[in-house]
Amino acid sequence: MSAPPLTVTVTVDGAPVEVPAGATVLDAARAAGSWVPTLCFDERQAPFGACRACLVGVEGAAAPLPACTTPCRDGMVIDTEDPAGRRVAHAVVELVLSELPQPPAAHTELAQVAQRLGVGAPRWPGETHAPAPADTRHPYLAFQHELCISCGRCVRACDEVQGTFALTATGRGFDANIAAGLDEGFRDSACVACGACADSCPTDAITEVSLLALTSAADATNGGPA
Amino acid sequence: MSDERFASTVTTTCGYCGVGCRLEAHVRDDRVASISPALDGPANEGHTCLKGRFAHQFSRRRDRLATPLIRDARGGELRRASWEEALERIASELGRIRAAHGPDAIAGLASSRATNEDCYAMQRLMRAAIGTNNIDNCSRVCHSPTSYALRRSLGLSGATGSFADFDHADATILIGANPTEGHPVVGARIKQATLRGMKLVTIDPRRIELADYGVLHLAPRPGTNAAIMLGIAHVLERDGFVNRAFIDERTDGWDAFAELLPAYAPEAVARIAAVPAADLERAAHVYGEAADACISWGLGVTEHKYGSEVAQLICDVALMTGKIGRPGSALLPLRGQNNVQGSSDMGALPDTYTAYRSVTDEAVARSFEDAWGVPLSRREGWTIPQMFDAAVAGELRAMYIFGEDVAQTDPNTAHVVHAMESLDFLVVQEIFENETTKYADVILPASSFLEKGGTFTNAERRVQLVAPAIDPPGEARTDFEIIALVSRALGHELPWATPADAMDEIAVLTPDWAGISHARLGRRGLQWPVAPDGTDAPILYEREFSRPGGRAHFAALPYKAPGDAADEQFPLILVTGRRLQHYNAGTMTRRTGNVELMDADVLEIHPDDAARLWISNGDRISVRSRVGRIELPAQVTDHIEPGHVFTTFHFPETRTNLLIGASADVNTSCPEYKVVAVDVRPLGEEPARTPALASGT
Amino acid sequence: MLDGTERRSSSALSKNLVELVRRHHALAAPSALDVLKEAVELRGEISDEDRREAARRSGLPEAAVYGVSTFYDDLLQPRGARHVRVCTGTACFAATGDAHVEALREGLGLQLGERAADGSISLADTVCLGFCHSSPAVRDGDVIDAGPDVVARVLADACASAEEPAWRSTLSEPVLTRPGDWSGLRRVLSDGVAPEALLEEVTAAEIRGRGGAGFPAGVKWGFARAAAGDEKFIVANGDEGDPGSYIDKYLMERSPELLLEGMALAGYAVGARHGFVLVRSEYPRSKPALEMAAARAHADGLLGDDVLGSGFAFDVTIVEGAGSYVVGEETALLACLEGLRGTVSARPPFPAQEGLYGRPTVVNNVETLCNVPFVAVRGAGAYRALSPDAQTAGSKLVCFNERFVRPGVYEVPFGVSMRWLCEDVAGGLRDGRALKAVQIGGPLGGILPAARLDAAFDFDALAAEGCMLGHGGILAFDDHTNMRDVARHLLRFGAHESCGKCFPCRIGLRRAHELFASDAPIERAPLEQLLETLELGSLCAHGGGMPAPIRSLLRWWPDELGLA
Repeated sequence: MSAPPLTVTVTVDGAPVEVPAGATVLDAARAAGSWVPTLCFDERQAPFGACRACLVGVEGAAAPLPACTTPCRDGMVIDTEDPAGRRVAHAVVELVLSELPQPPAAHTELAQVAQRLGVGAPRWPGETHAPAPADTRHPYLAFQHELCISCGRCVRACDEVQGTFALTATGRGFDANIAAGLDEGFRDSACVACGACADSCPTDAITEVSLLALTSAADATNGGPA
Repeated sequence: MSDERFASTVTTTCGYCGVGCRLEAHVRDDRVASISPALDGPANEGHTCLKGRFAHQFSRRRDRLATPLIRDARGGELRRASWEEALERIASELGRIRAAHGPDAIAGLASSRATNEDCYAMQRLMRAAIGTNNIDNCSRVCHSPTSYALRRSLGLSGATGSFADFDHADATILIGANPTEGHPVVGARIKQATLRGMKLVTIDPRRIELADYGVLHLAPRPGTNAAIMLGIAHVLERDGFVNRAFIDERTDGWDAFAELLPAYAPEAVARIAAVPAADLERAAHVYGEAADACISWGLGVTEHKYGSEVAQLICDVALMTGKIGRPGSALLPLRGQNNVQGSSDMGALPDTYTAYRSVTDEAVARSFEDAWGVPLSRREGWTIPQMFDAAVAGELRAMYIFGEDVAQTDPNTAHVVHAMESLDFLVVQEIFENETTKYADVILPASSFLEKGGTFTNAERRVQLVAPAIDPPGEARTDFEIIALVSRALGHELPWATPADAMDEIAVLTPDWAGISHARLGRRGLQWPVAPDGTDAPILYEREFSRPGGRAHFAALPYKAPGDAADEQFPLILVTGRRLQHYNAGTMTRRTGNVELMDADVLEIHPDDAARLWISNGDRISVRSRVGRIELPAQVTDHIEPGHVFTTFHFPETRTNLLIGASADVNTSCPEYKVVAVDVRPLGEEPARTPALASGT
Repeated sequence: MLDGTERRSSSALSKNLVELVRRHHALAAPSALDVLKEAVELRGEISDEDRREAARRSGLPEAAVYGVSTFYDDLLQPRGARHVRVCTGTACFAATGDAHVEALREGLGLQLGERAADGSISLADTVCLGFCHSSPAVRDGDVIDAGPDVVARVLADACASAEEPAWRSTLSEPVLTRPGDWSGLRRVLSDGVAPEALLEEVTAAEIRGRGGAGFPAGVKWGFARAAAGDEKFIVANGDEGDPGSYIDKYLMERSPELLLEGMALAGYAVGARHGFVLVRSEYPRSKPALEMAAARAHADGLLGDDVLGSGFAFDVTIVEGAGSYVVGEETALLACLEGLRGTVSARPPFPAQEGLYGRPTVVNNVETLCNVPFVAVRGAGAYRALSPDAQTAGSKLVCFNERFVRPGVYEVPFGVSMRWLCEDVAGGLRDGRALKAVQIGGPLGGILPAARLDAAFDFDALAAEGCMLGHGGILAFDDHTNMRDVARHLLRFGAHESCGKCFPCRIGLRRAHELFASDAPIERAPLEQLLETLELGSLCAHGGGMPAPIRSLLRWWPDELGLA
């Protein structure tokens, strides 16, 4: 039996793209330069499949597929702007915006994805995460729990990149959030302050203490939160 | 992704440790507001540690040196001076001393934290402007044994592969290093590899964090690493893991080495090193059975009386199994400083020019004479320990030190201080006042890594660009500029407008660097040797070694006892090292938020020893060695073996290095920081609290 | 040489945490969840010291243990000396409209999830106790009482174990409603049937998964058999969380031998030496029943290192869950077995490739495995003949809720009409109530109005009605039921049980519940968008399936839903 091929070729938005065997549809889209909205994806981590914003059309599939967790097969034909996929992406981002007590700061990945998808203020009037003062007990890393969208990137950064396992998801369902150690804050947990979590967080739920003031200053300059 | 919070972002290379993370420095209002890791950093791949990421506020602390300072009389106060006056004072003093006592009465110390171009400029200044080979750098006190060993055994003074080799290895031996604290990004990488199935064997008197992820941990008595390596070699040979074809085709000296091995059966090694024979056998088998395996080490190997010999024995183990020169099989010494590899590559060493070519080599010396237009000394200069001895003896009269706090970090602090006080003239080029500046006659305000351009060479031999994000504060200048000014004042013009020009000169004069230029380095850097067409070398020795005949050399070196040993008066062995939150002397990290995370050096002591000595966790204790005494708090922990204690040297008030004596590596003078016999006892008559009774008493 | 490209290849639940758990499991460490459950059982609640202890003993990092302690219902509700759990499942709701919950709250003076100040008594909600035949049901300690006057008995501290009706088969020869006798395993081993041959037979029998997905068991076993690696596992999914369903409860408690035998046969065919049964904690009798059956099997040489002297080794560990509906999803179930948070993982990789502790694992529903012994004895042909007129082979257990005249578990063939099941087998509704609708297969199943009862009980036929066969629970709503209340009840359950990983379900189910929980009229367009987002976007069948019953309600009872 011959060895399996090292690469596969797929078509992304009409253009052929060669990718390593085992690459995902999202890898192929990125290699082709096509934008696929993502919120829970970080190239430094294994794909997670939580946000469901990356649904794309794949010829022959009954419904749009999540690009980040679907492996490429040779000959696949991919449409990154599949209408149903984009509807879901739009709806997901709108739902995410609806759970935050205020719009995300302009520099955050969430704000930029929302802008690119054309998602405005969410139309859902329901419950949001309760605002709370930022947890700044650590000299560098701050928690703003109400901004957490449970994308899991911080937990996975601490797990798959740094290997310290200082963070965890907590709770269940809508009340899901994140915590360090036994919910004791960064300082008293196993955290080694590498900052990988802050680097990955798309909403500033984890950010640098010294940048907290900058964000509110920038918002003020831009005429206040939208 | 745009970010309106920052005015600009500069990609540079971290100035802390030898991993060489590529960083994005985000600037706002002329300060570094934030740093994030570069996703395409070859060594760090989008990750970094708390030092590179967060510990940058030191750059704008108010106690930064911002003007030149002059001390008119020894023991007197410092006063502000202009650059003109400072340079004039330096030129006249150094000129006077040279005229009266000869150029060899002056010595220089290049900073292993500074760029390649800074160090190259410094060694050119010492050699061309002053006329001496008395130039050294701090690799002397950390990895000089590694450099010695790699050159003797394999040919080139550098890791034989890259960090990526940890990803490709089936097994790794990690000896005398604690990378999750000292090289955090590499520590994380090794940890991830173990979780994917890479078999790690850790060898360290302390149970380091990675021991919990490895398949085996050996805790040998400090100073017995040679016995361990010889024992591993014995088992490899005995159990058929020797690669005869490799030995025959690519090495010499095997027979002499093989003759030593019968004396190092596991039972014999167990007696020397206090490591169970079965564990030693297993360690050898893990390494021998792996298709590809790496050996990685740190100062726990080098900072010993026979550190250079242990490093050669490490090479022997790799050579006898042929596990070298291909992906996943590499020797990876973890260089400590961000540019300790580079400062030595640049010839800031008393016996070599760039790329470790001897100052006595006529052809090489001529090439530099031609380039610099001055005659150069063929006499090897003093190493750092020799400089201190010479100062005390009155033979060394002046020193020009930049970017190293010898009074805090070098061993035998009392001796170092005595040396400083004995000099007639001391110039110190620094970013903050420190223990060493207390003895300086002229202090020049210099730049941090965030304020300069140039290159650093990391532990993978990777030369990477450094770019300034902000300007040095006040009247401080970049080290590159300062050295040029001093050299001009001494009468030797350095002909480079920018560090890139200096690198061009290095490339012309150094065959292994021929293809390196700033333009070529781009975002990924290049691993030397770099051919003229720019082809670099991620893996060394794929086909031949860089020694005569292309063969590697087996070193036949028996075990010898370390320079110090526990006895009745000093019953415990002290190992000194580092913690995650601080960087060496702590000059930078103590001036950042890291101080909130760790605010003192503590002495780690095993519960059995603590109980026997009536010491409770947190008690202030005294530690006394044959040469000195310090006081600090105790931390009782079972991560260390009974009989050993551990501390760091991050806080100057602790003065840890008062305890370190003169014992040093026999070949390179690297101090034996890792084996110091000490006595530990609580301060005062009464213990602070009644401790738990030790079991069995 | 290890290939560094493996670094970012997997989307399974934290490979690293699973690997840490695997390493410690190999050293006989308990799971973190086990240690936390011990703490709750001993002290009624979990402290940080308990969490640190769980981390020490299990090898799981402290943060991960904290996350586990905040996920499972059993760990979150404080327990007094007397711990009362009231069922808020759909069958109990169908019986009382949740009046029994209100009555208990008032009677005890406690909110759900509250413990009395003196610690003497606590009240919690639970879903579902598996006494749907006698709703409403309450669990007082470990005694489960049920019936119209159960609240009075609880308040009088006079609970007694409720009776459970006997199960019956409508087939000429019962396949599932019989005690197991290990004849299948005996025959396979004594006749020297090769594992591959057994696998072929099971595949030919076309046993479809009985948990709801209907995936062919033989095909799944084939993937696991072909997967690389020496260490493989069989996992029986005994987390029958669907409110209204108590089929697996009966199997585990009345025919535990049948299940164990099915697992051993699966192990034989796949090449696995060990099996786990995850039993939900809401069924306190199932684990003891299985453990006793396993002990007897050991004594008889039917489980252990050398089954019947054949050299085949197989053993079974029974593990109890901790209160989470989504743990019935196979990847979440494996996470629970590993002592981690019961969240769903993206697939691929599938458990047959990378399952328990990262090893190839077959996860089958309890009822599915109970079908295997028959095939091992009588062969694929006889099995397919059990439902001669149907698309699907074999027989099916169904169960009816308390609204029916004759509730209980029945074994029936596929292909019969829903009408026959509801009227002839279960006797129609009692107390003169008329059947308004039935929800089939669990809370994620479509709802069939009385007018459509002629639909056939089979996978495709029910799918054509916007319903599903699911796990076979048949739950009747009578004519006194308001369908907006049903929508609110189902969405409250759905939102509460969402594992919280994927965004459509985590946020979308909350928003859907909010739409129905308010009194305001519901705009159709946002509701439709939500339903589409859930159907297309959810990571698993929990969020993905929740729209089905809502769509049924929209189709058949739009006027009752309060649409704008």
